[in-house]
Amino acid sequence: MSHQELKPVDTKQIQGMLSRKKGKMKRFLSYCAHCSLCAESCFLYMEHHKDPQYMPSYKAINSLGKLYRKNGKVDRKLLTEMKGIVWRNCVLCGRCYCPIGIHIPSMIAFARSILRSQDVYPQLDEVSSESWL
Amino acid sequence: MLAFIRGQLISIAFVVFVLGLIFHFIQFFRLTRKKEWAYPPLEIKSQKKTPGQWVTSCLASLNGTLWKTYPVVTVMTSVFHVFLIGVPLFLLGHNMLLSQSWGLSFWSLRESVTDVLTVVVIVCAAFFLGRRLFLARVRAITTAYDYLVLLIAVAPFLTGYFAYHQWFDYRTVMTIHILSGVVMLITIPFTKLGHMLFFFLYRFLIGTEYSFARGARAW
Repeated sequence: MSHQELKPVDTKQIQGMLSRKKGKMKRFLSYCAHCSLCAESCFLYMEHHKDPQYMPSYKAINSLGKLYRKNGKVDRKLLTEMKGIVWRNCVLCGRCYCPIGIHIPSMIAFARSILRSQDVYPQLDEVSSESWL
Repeated sequence: MLAFIRGQLISIAFVVFVLGLIFHFIQFFRLTRKKEWAYPPLEIKSQKKTPGQWVTSCLASLNGTLWKTYPVVTVMTSVFHVFLIGVPLFLLGHNMLLSQSWGLSFWSLRESVTDVLTVVVIVCAAFFLGRRLFLARVRAITTAYDYLVLLIAVAPFLTGYFAYHQWFDYRTVMTIHILSGVVMLITIPFTKLGHMLFFFLYRFLIGTEYSFARGARAW
């Protein structure tokens, strides 16, 4: 069992981080029309045969969106699932386009910060074993 | 009860709608600040173009935009949003009621025109519903809340169409029409319906690569 799996999740710390950017991030999440028009602006979506998991909105909703919906009360299993979404499925190239003007990269970057605060991030040996690159 | 729905409830809805929007406008300016930096303006001198070159450059500028990647959706969504706001504002029946109540009104479109435009809005909504149901990428991020929001947006148009054509019991349909309009007004500032208005703040005032204007504010 790795160091990442052993440490308990600090819910208070996550809640504190979520609360600091609540005004901006909750607006982004609540005004997202779930239209999927951001999809083709993501090269990973295009490269993965238009798999919806790679849509920018899908990534934001299923990482940061889930954290806000659960008010930070998440377990390590869920955080590990999010790790794949925000690191493997997104390279933060900043090319995603939202017709409403929602800044998706800042949401993914914020989700990464929260995960990193809980020691959840890709590790070098993991990268090679899971073929992340 | 009916008198309350047709009277005070509409006023309450308008007050909640306006106050809700003002609250969010103020919050927007509190959450954003004036940008401290800006990209230097590009110094590109435009050359004189023949009409053919002008058309070609206009078409080329659409590359990479939604007009090129999703032309049908872009047309449908533009039409839907314009008429969703425009039709109720310039509807003769609404303006007559406004004139009776407050002594002021907008100019009105002919009833035959608004009747057709109402059908256009309903058709666009049906198109969005179809996307939600049958397109895998839209379905992947769709929740029951999305269907509810679509219903809230289109219900006043459906019931308004039924009422205008006097289908079903007129008084009942009219009451449902007013209630659906009230629900829509009240929910706009507090649900994702707010994107109709906040789109303008985000795309014009926030300075990003995709801004329509030279946005001077940053989050």
